[in-house]
Amino acid sequence: MLKIENLHKRFGDLVVLDGVNFEVPEGTTTVILGRSGIGKSVLLKCIVRLIEPDKGKIFIEGKNIFELTLKELNELRKNIGFLFQSSALYDSMTVKENLAFPLLRHTGLTNKEIEERIKEILNLVGLAEAISKMPSELSGGMKKRIALARSLILNPKIMLYDEPTTGLDPVTSKEIAKLIIEMQKKFKMTNIVVTHDMVVALSTADKILLLENGNFIFEGTPEQLLNSELDIAKKFLSTKLD
Amino acid sequence: MMKLIDSINNFFSVIGGLTSFTLRFFVEVFRPPYEITEIRKHMDELGVKTFSIVSITGFIIGLVLGMQSQPVLARFGAEMFLPGMIALSVIRELGPVLTALIFAGRVGSGIGAELGSMRVTEQIDAMEVSAVDPFRFLVVTRVIATTLMLPLLTIYVDLIALLGGYVAVIITQNMTFSYYIQLVLDAVRFSDIIPGVSKTFVFGFVVGIVGSYLGFNASKGTEGVGKASTTSVVISSLLILLIDSVIVRLTLIIFPD
Repeated sequence: MLKIENLHKRFGDLVVLDGVNFEVPEGTTTVILGRSGIGKSVLLKCIVRLIEPDKGKIFIEGKNIFELTLKELNELRKNIGFLFQSSALYDSMTVKENLAFPLLRHTGLTNKEIEERIKEILNLVGLAEAISKMPSELSGGMKKRIALARSLILNPKIMLYDEPTTGLDPVTSKEIAKLIIEMQKKFKMTNIVVTHDMVVALSTADKILLLENGNFIFEGTPEQLLNSELDIAKKFLSTKLD
Repeated sequence: MMKLIDSINNFFSVIGGLTSFTLRFFVEVFRPPYEITEIRKHMDELGVKTFSIVSITGFIIGLVLGMQSQPVLARFGAEMFLPGMIALSVIRELGPVLTALIFAGRVGSGIGAELGSMRVTEQIDAMEVSAVDPFRFLVVTRVIATTLMLPLLTIYVDLIALLGGYVAVIITQNMTFSYYIQLVLDAVRFSDIIPGVSKTFVFGFVVGIVGSYLGFNASKGTEGVGKASTTSVVISSLLILLIDSVIVRLTLIIFPD
């Protein structure tokens, strides 16, 4: 479904990705774990070509995304949902307008059908009452839910989560993790979750990759991570225990 | 010394970036979808944003110009030329340039801040990932709106300034409004109105493209947003004055009388 080969990215002298390789099988959730500023979000943004890597290949559904024209890339992007760290809701639009934005541009749905789809997706994330609100009227957790709803509204095959729980309290973080699992069960998407939150990592992952110094130093299941002797893995696990 | 070299580098990098941004605008502007609703929305917002300030400014321009000029003309017994002089000054130069400068301050800074804020909060990235071209949706629509809105505002300011000029006239002279308008129409020719209004299309374009360029490429969080906003006013204002001096020269060549 998604395959990354020998991906390199540096900013000036800082090497962020140093020959990264990995594969995400269809319908599974891969969590990329790592400390803040280590390059997890850069990796995620390379997958949708928001950032161009220096070298390497990314295959989505067998196509190397760096060989696609802009039109072909945009066709592909319609199948990818992206939940941004900052939620990235359009702050000049209401929740309803935020959700209608992709539908109006990429589907031939009537206004009534769009309205129904918006209500359906808002019910899924448990925020039907927020339909007329502006993003500035929402809490951090609500923003994440609405942003998730917007990412899911076109029924993407691949879902990318960039630090889905950053800045949220532990209770809301757990709710978001639960929502990721629910959405995965419902839509059978291929997920990549970038996080440094162990609760999210352990509860959502089929496979965990640990990024350190530009490459993965661990690849395995949540259980394997729990039993790992790696120093950095232990440090991450200790944060969970704290 | 290093700071000076950095400033020069920065200046040329802005000029280069702005040029390629402008070329991209001319490529994208003819490609569908045309986002008419968005353009109309921006035009409404720009009109509302600037309406009160340009109204007050326009009235004061006409009033002050009339009050300052009246004693000079009276010295030569040429008070009858006051309405014509006010009209020509306002329509040919003061109306377009001052409206454009106010527009740059109010609208250009707003576009810089708005797009800058969208950039640093990843809203532009979110748009791109959802397969919508943010350049076409955010930049093209705003630049078209500023290009079309400034001429309309300038015509309005010209009319308000003439009203201000009439108030200045009646302070010292006994003149009816219809006679004042008659004297204005006698003095103003087609070749005075066309260049005055035409150049505001260019000024409107400059305000839109500079604000959009700086906002669209903002970085470094809130500091970057503030910088995009203030720099857009400075660059737009300078470009307006520079372009105006070129257009005035061209106008004198094209309409020598």
